[in-house]
Amino acid sequence: MSAKRVPIRASSTLYETIGQYYLEAKMAEGSERKIAWVTSGAPVEILYAADIIPIYPENHGALCGARKMAVELCAAAEERGFSRDVCSYARTDFGAIYTGTTPTGGLPRPDFLLCCNNICGTVTKWYQHLQRHFDVPLVFLDIPFQHSGPNEESIAYVRAQLEDLIRSVGEIVGKPVEMERLEETLGLALQSSMLWAEILGLLANRPSPMTSFDTFVHMAPIVVLRGTQQCIDYYELLLSEIKQRVADGIAAVPGERWRLGWDNIPIWFKLRELSEKFAEYKACLVAATYAHSWAAMVSPTSSTDPLGGMAEGYTNVYINSGLPARARVLAEMVGTYGLDGFVMHSDRSCRAYSFGQYDLARMLSEEHGIPALIIEADMCDSRVYADEQATTRIEAFMETLAAHGSQT
Amino acid sequence: MKLSSDTCNVLETLRSVSGNLYDPARAAAQRGRKVAGYMCTYTPVELLDAAGYVPVRILGRMGSVSRADSHLQVFACSLARSALDMALLGELDFLSLMVFSHTCDTMQNLVDIWAANISDTPVFTISTPVEVDTSHAHDFYRQELARMRRFLEAERGRAITDEELTASIRGYDEHRAMMRRLYALRRANPDRLSGRDMLSVVLSWFVMPREEHARILERLMEDVESAEQTLIGDRPRVYVVGSVCSSPDYITVIEDAGCLVAGDDLCTGSRAFLSEAPPDGDPLDRLGRMYLSRSPCPAKHCPGYDPGTYILEQARESQAEGVIFLLTKFCDPWAFDYTYVRERLSNAGMPSILLEIEQHVPPSEQLRTRVSAFAEMLRAGPDTPRKDHSGR
Repeated sequence: MSAKRVPIRASSTLYETIGQYYLEAKMAEGSERKIAWVTSGAPVEILYAADIIPIYPENHGALCGARKMAVELCAAAEERGFSRDVCSYARTDFGAIYTGTTPTGGLPRPDFLLCCNNICGTVTKWYQHLQRHFDVPLVFLDIPFQHSGPNEESIAYVRAQLEDLIRSVGEIVGKPVEMERLEETLGLALQSSMLWAEILGLLANRPSPMTSFDTFVHMAPIVVLRGTQQCIDYYELLLSEIKQRVADGIAAVPGERWRLGWDNIPIWFKLRELSEKFAEYKACLVAATYAHSWAAMVSPTSSTDPLGGMAEGYTNVYINSGLPARARVLAEMVGTYGLDGFVMHSDRSCRAYSFGQYDLARMLSEEHGIPALIIEADMCDSRVYADEQATTRIEAFMETLAAHGSQT
Repeated sequence: MKLSSDTCNVLETLRSVSGNLYDPARAAAQRGRKVAGYMCTYTPVELLDAAGYVPVRILGRMGSVSRADSHLQVFACSLARSALDMALLGELDFLSLMVFSHTCDTMQNLVDIWAANISDTPVFTISTPVEVDTSHAHDFYRQELARMRRFLEAERGRAITDEELTASIRGYDEHRAMMRRLYALRRANPDRLSGRDMLSVVLSWFVMPREEHARILERLMEDVESAEQTLIGDRPRVYVVGSVCSSPDYITVIEDAGCLVAGDDLCTGSRAFLSEAPPDGDPLDRLGRMYLSRSPCPAKHCPGYDPGTYILEQARESQAEGVIFLLTKFCDPWAFDYTYVRERLSNAGMPSILLEIEQHVPPSEQLRTRVSAFAEMLRAGPDTPRKDHSGR
């Protein structure tokens, strides 16, 4: 029962891949290659097709959070007048800019900014601030929120903007984006996202070969390198390892008894502790709306209709959809992954992700008999995290599950 | 200020409305009118008016939030929490329709929580573009306006004619123009109407049937225009900025501290009245161009619009000596702009103070003390040019 957890070997390649990416980006500063700072749900394929290096302040924020550097950086932003109620990724980013402190050797200065509001309205304000700070062009992609499924008018609006975006990017780099290159890049992105989806799908196995906490770490390439060969190479490596784990019956949580879902951005500074805490109860997190978001961002339509596919894929992301659509995704996860419960991180920094979770939790319990645990926390700002309270709640939740009956 | 007794009655009416925001709409509903609630000033009220609804802006209310807390986290702004609480408690049962315009993350998610839990009132959301000034945004918004029109026509059971819509646009245009005149008048002579009463006029505009408010406003305008000037003395002029301020008590705190409110950039204020429908084009086109080219809410992206420059210019035009940020806690769009605007003002030698407010909580003692200190500082300011307003 107390078998040791077997670490994922690909991790070392992951760190190399991501380290290499940040290093290359930093080295490109001041060179001919253009650098764009982008939001995590932006159509990065267009940038890769134009040989532009994308930099993701959100991913950088997550890294700072995981390395427990975020609080110091947030405080630096607060000193400049930012409220503690503002998104901690944004505060971390501003703090890193103001102080130059970073775990990655420094983010290269952007030549321009690309902001896509399909993940939240916060990025709109965040990028306006970056625009004033760096005094570089800000290209904006306005993707309407979908309260009731994808609507054609929205897709047409996004498509029209994508055409402009491709033109703007061409103007910025000084030569038009080649459509062939874009199609090729979209092909690579689609392949990466299918690999990522396949890997996540393997977590439906019992026991699960990997936990959602692992996927939070291993999702970095699908976010930052989507549309490159390195991304595919990495996920092919990871996929074969995870398949082997399934074949060998390796359980991510030895003695797996409970299977849980996760909603919202991870609590980066508590990743390891939470993973261990749940493992103590033989609970494995096997599905996460956050990690799954990047499995569906590239629409298969993009292989025949690049712009239409991109418009569709980037409009239909989980967090750009209303509660009824979110409820359907959660319900589907319950079935596909055989979930016994759901953990919902009510993230003080992310109103777009968090508001509605209370109703979703009720829906899970009333319509699917799945209890949900709500943890009030923050993705980066550990000052709002109450360790003891969270632990108590997790313990109480696991006892509730046990009372529900064993479901292995 | 000396006003006729008639004006006093008018003011009493407006003051009373500002203290009981939903009474006029409830009364209208009792008289058989259909009432449509809305929260964001980008909501095309002209369409609601043309479809026969009395539009009423939902601004929350004073008093604790109870039921909403099991649907919405406490880190949502007080406007969202308080409004949802009202709806859950049945305090908005006079509404026949609730309309949302896409605003910010909080409002966006509030829509679905509202729709899922307030099942007896239909909810409609118009997807107002975030990037407001592109030709694609105009095309998209026009389709959204047309979709809203079709929805209202279905609710009503008959078409909204272009004539009806044109008449509503004209009505609102005239009404907004009157509000702008009142603003201009106050900018020149802030003593003619207190800031508190001005906010009452504004709040009443949002919650009263348009014709009723227009009648009262006309009478008020006449009297305010002809009122005698009185002594202002050594009262520093301030410019107030922020999102919603649903309680005149906050303005009273500022005035009690000795300041004169000479202008505002509030969404319960000037930002809702500055726009005017362009004269040419069909009605939907005119509405679209008016809403997308209006003074942008901080939740929008409008290249070329610089909130720092705008607020500084407006404050200077109002001859303000200081700026008061009246920001609702957990309002992200403003929280981001604040840092930049404050710095911009400070570099231009314009002092400012941040007051964080919650719509359902009255002003605290601490807030009074801080405003007093700010007023004191403005009064003592060495190189703050102050006009002598004494009318002796």
